[in-house]
Amino acid sequence: MIAQIISVIGQTALVLLFSPLITAFSRTIKARLQTRRGPGLFQPYRDLHKLLRKGMVIPETASWIFTATPYVLFATTLLAGLLIPTIATQAPLSLFGGVLAVVYLLALGRFFLALGGLDTGSSFGGLGSSREMTISAIAEPALMLAVFTVALGAGSTNLSSVAQAAVGQSWRFLSPSQMLAFAALFIVLIAETGRIPVDNPATHLELTMIHEAMILEYSGPCLALIEWSASMKQMVLMTLLVNVFFPYGLSADGSPLGMLISVALFVFKLLILALAVVLVETGNAKLRLFRVPELLAVAFVLSALALISTFLFGVHGG
Amino acid sequence: MMDNRPRRLDEILSACGSALSRKLTSSAAEIYVDLPAANAPAASAYLRSAGCRHVAVFAEDRVAEDSHDYIYYVFEHPDDCRYLVLRAAIDLDDTAFPSMAAEVPALNWQEREIQDWFGLEALGHPNPRRVALHDNWPDVHPLRKDFSIDTVLPPFEGEQHVYRPTLGEGVFQIPVGPVHAGIIEPGHFSFAVAGEPILYLQLRMFYVHKGIEKRFEQLTADRAVFLAESVSGDSSFSHGTAFCQALERIGGVEVPEPAHRMRTILLELERIYNHVADIGAIVTDVGFVIANAHASRLREEILRINEELTGSRLLRSVVCPGGVRRPWDRDHVSNTLAALTPFEREFNELVDMIQSSDSTRDRLERTGILNPDQARDLGIIGVAGRASGHDRDVRRDHPYAAYDSLEIQVPVYQEGDVLRRMQVRIDEVRESLQLIRAAESGLASGPHRVSMPPLPADQYALGSVEGWRGEILYWVRTAANNRIARCRVKDPSLNNWPAVVEAVQGNIVPDFPVINKSFSLSYSGTDR
Repeated sequence: MIAQIISVIGQTALVLLFSPLITAFSRTIKARLQTRRGPGLFQPYRDLHKLLRKGMVIPETASWIFTATPYVLFATTLLAGLLIPTIATQAPLSLFGGVLAVVYLLALGRFFLALGGLDTGSSFGGLGSSREMTISAIAEPALMLAVFTVALGAGSTNLSSVAQAAVGQSWRFLSPSQMLAFAALFIVLIAETGRIPVDNPATHLELTMIHEAMILEYSGPCLALIEWSASMKQMVLMTLLVNVFFPYGLSADGSPLGMLISVALFVFKLLILALAVVLVETGNAKLRLFRVPELLAVAFVLSALALISTFLFGVHGG
Repeated sequence: MMDNRPRRLDEILSACGSALSRKLTSSAAEIYVDLPAANAPAASAYLRSAGCRHVAVFAEDRVAEDSHDYIYYVFEHPDDCRYLVLRAAIDLDDTAFPSMAAEVPALNWQEREIQDWFGLEALGHPNPRRVALHDNWPDVHPLRKDFSIDTVLPPFEGEQHVYRPTLGEGVFQIPVGPVHAGIIEPGHFSFAVAGEPILYLQLRMFYVHKGIEKRFEQLTADRAVFLAESVSGDSSFSHGTAFCQALERIGGVEVPEPAHRMRTILLELERIYNHVADIGAIVTDVGFVIANAHASRLREEILRINEELTGSRLLRSVVCPGGVRRPWDRDHVSNTLAALTPFEREFNELVDMIQSSDSTRDRLERTGILNPDQARDLGIIGVAGRASGHDRDVRRDHPYAAYDSLEIQVPVYQEGDVLRRMQVRIDEVRESLQLIRAAESGLASGPHRVSMPPLPADQYALGSVEGWRGEILYWVRTAANNRIARCRVKDPSLNNWPAVVEAVQGNIVPDFPVINKSFSLSYSGTDR
C-alpha cells in the first residue's frame, strides 16, 4: 500500500515536472535546425510560472463549460499519466482495462477541450473544434487498433502486463505486427500532439490552427493548465510508444540502482523519440487540412495490417 | 533606342478620327488628349478594343485656376512605350462623372476614391459605397482644395459598414482582423464559409489612410521625395524613383547615365530582398519553416549590401530628383556586389530545397488560382499578373533608368496559382542578379546627379516604376515656388487586392494565409 502511494506520488511528480522539458527539448532542437538559438530549456517552466500568476479574461458568452474544461483536461491527462509504466514495469494505477482507460481519458479531455472551444461562440474556436473532431475521429480508431495489436501479443490490455511481457521478449519489436503498429502509433502521436504535418504549434495564423484555435480565448491560469496538459499528453503518448515497443531498462525489481538506470534510459528513449518527431516536423510542410484524414487513414491501415499480421505471423515474428 | 520602338498609339488615335483629336501635349513618355466627360466611356471602350489596357483613373480639383475638376484616364498599349492620358473636364455645376467600373472592374476602387475624396459622383457605379473614407467620417471631401489640411473634424458617429449577409444552411461568417496576430498592418477580412470551403470573401481596407496625397500638396518638391519614400516602406526606393522621374520630366532634366545605372542596381536590390523575404514567407505559411530560416538569412545579406552601398538598409533617402544623393566609388561597388556571387549560390540551394519538398509543392500547386481571364478583367499587374499570363513589365514596356539598354527576360506563367506566383519571384531574383551585373559592368565614372532647376509651375507628368510588386504610378502637377499642386500615387497593392478576393473562392479556410501571402500586398500602399 505504502509502496503504491509512493509510486503514485513519484510518477505524478515525474509527469508534472518532466513533461515541459520534452516540449522544451523539441523546441530547442527545432530552433537549432532552423539556425536559431531558441529560448532555452526552461522556457516552458517560465511560461507556466508567468501564466499562473496572471489574471484571466473570461468571455461574457462563456458558460461553466469554459472554466471547467482546463481542470477536466488537466485531471484526465494526469490520470492517464498514472496508468502507464514509465520507469518500472508496474504502473502506479490500473483502472478499467488499462490501456483502454488511457485512450478514453485522453478522449474525455479532448471532448471537453472541443466543447470549451465552441462554448464562447467565437468563430475560431468553432473552426478549431470541428477540425479537432474530424481528425480525432480517424486518429482514435487507428490508436485503438494499434493498441489492440500490442495487447493481443501480451494477452492483456493492462499496460503493466504488456510491459512485463515485452521486457521478456526484447527482440519482439522486429516482428511485422509490432513494426506496423509502431508506425501507426507514430503517426497518431504526431496528429494527437498537433505537430507538423498535421498542425503547426508555432503558427500565429488563426485560420490555419487546430489545437491553438480551440484555446484562443483562454488566458492566465486556465491557459497554463491547458498548455501543461498538452505537454503531459505528449509525454503520455511518447511513453506509451517507447515503453511498449522498446521496454529496455524498465526496472522490474525496484532496486535503487535499477531505478536509476531506468530513469536514465527512459529519458534517453523519450529524447530520441522527440528528436524523430522534430526531424519529421522540420523536413515537411504542413499538409493541406483535407489531406490530414488521408495521412491518418494510412495510420489506420497500418494498424489494421498490424492486427492481421499478428494472426498471420504471430507476435514473436514467426 | 526609345525612338525605334513602335508607336501604335498614334495609329489608334488617328484611326478614331475627331473624337480623340484634341491633343493637349505629347512627349517621349506621355500623350495627353482632351475630351468631354460624356465621351469617356466610349473612348475607353474603343481603346480597349484596340488592345489598350485601362491603367488608372484619378481626379484633380482645378476649380480655383480654371473652374473645372478634371478626371484623368491613363491607358497603355503593348506596342507603345508611352502612356496615353485622356483628360475629361467636369463643369462646376456638374458633380458627377460617368463610371466605367461595370465594364472595367479594375477601376472599381479608384472611382470610389474619387467619390470619397472629391465629392464627384461616379454615375452608374455598381457598388457606390464608400471605400477610402470609413463610415465614421462626416460627409467631407479631403482632396478638394477648399478642405484645409488642419481641419479638425467634430466627433461623428456613422453607420457601420454593411457586409453582404451570409445566408444558407450551414453557412457562416468568419470575421478576421482588422488587427491581426502577426506583425502586419490592419485590414478586415470577412469570410463566408460552408464548413471549410470559402464561398466568398469581403475585404475592407483604408484603416491606415494617412492622407498622403493631401500632404504632398503642402510640400516642396525636394522634401516631397521623403514622403513618396514612406508610402510603402518596403518599396521606398521604387516609390521615390517614380516620384523623382515625374519631377525630372516636368523639369526637363536629363539624369546622367551613371545615376541611371545606380538607380537600376538599387531597384533590383530592392526587388531581390523583398522577393526572397516573400518566398520565405510563403513557405512559412505552409509550415516549411526551415526554408524560411534560410530565406531570412539571405534577405539579410542583401540588406547589408544595401547598407554598404548607400548607408541605408531599406534604401531610404538615397534617390533624389536629378540622380542619387551620393557618388559611388567604382572599386567599392564592385567589391560590395561581389557578395552577390555567394548569394546566388545559396539562393539556388534554397530554391532546390523548396522545390525538392513534395509536401510543399502539394500545398502550393493549384492553390489560390487566379486564371488569366480574371486577371485581365481585373487589370491585375506585377508578380500576380505575370503568374496569370499577363505579360507586362514597366521595365521593358516603358523603360526608365538604365533599362532601355538592358535585356530583360519577363517570366510569364498561365496557371495563376500560388506555386507560379512564387516561381515568378524565383525567376525574377535570378533575372535581377543578371541585371545588376550588367548595370554594374557599364557603370562609367561621371556625375551621380545634376542639380534640379526650380520646377516650372503648373506642369504635369507621369512617373512609373516596376516596383517588386508591380507597376507604381505617380502623376504630379507642380505649383508655384517649387511646390506640388497634386500628386496621385497608385501603388500596385491598390490595384491587386480584388485579385485576392477572386483567388480564394473555392479554397479552404486554412489555405487563405498562403494565398494572401502569395500576392503580398501592402496595406500602407493601398491606404496611403
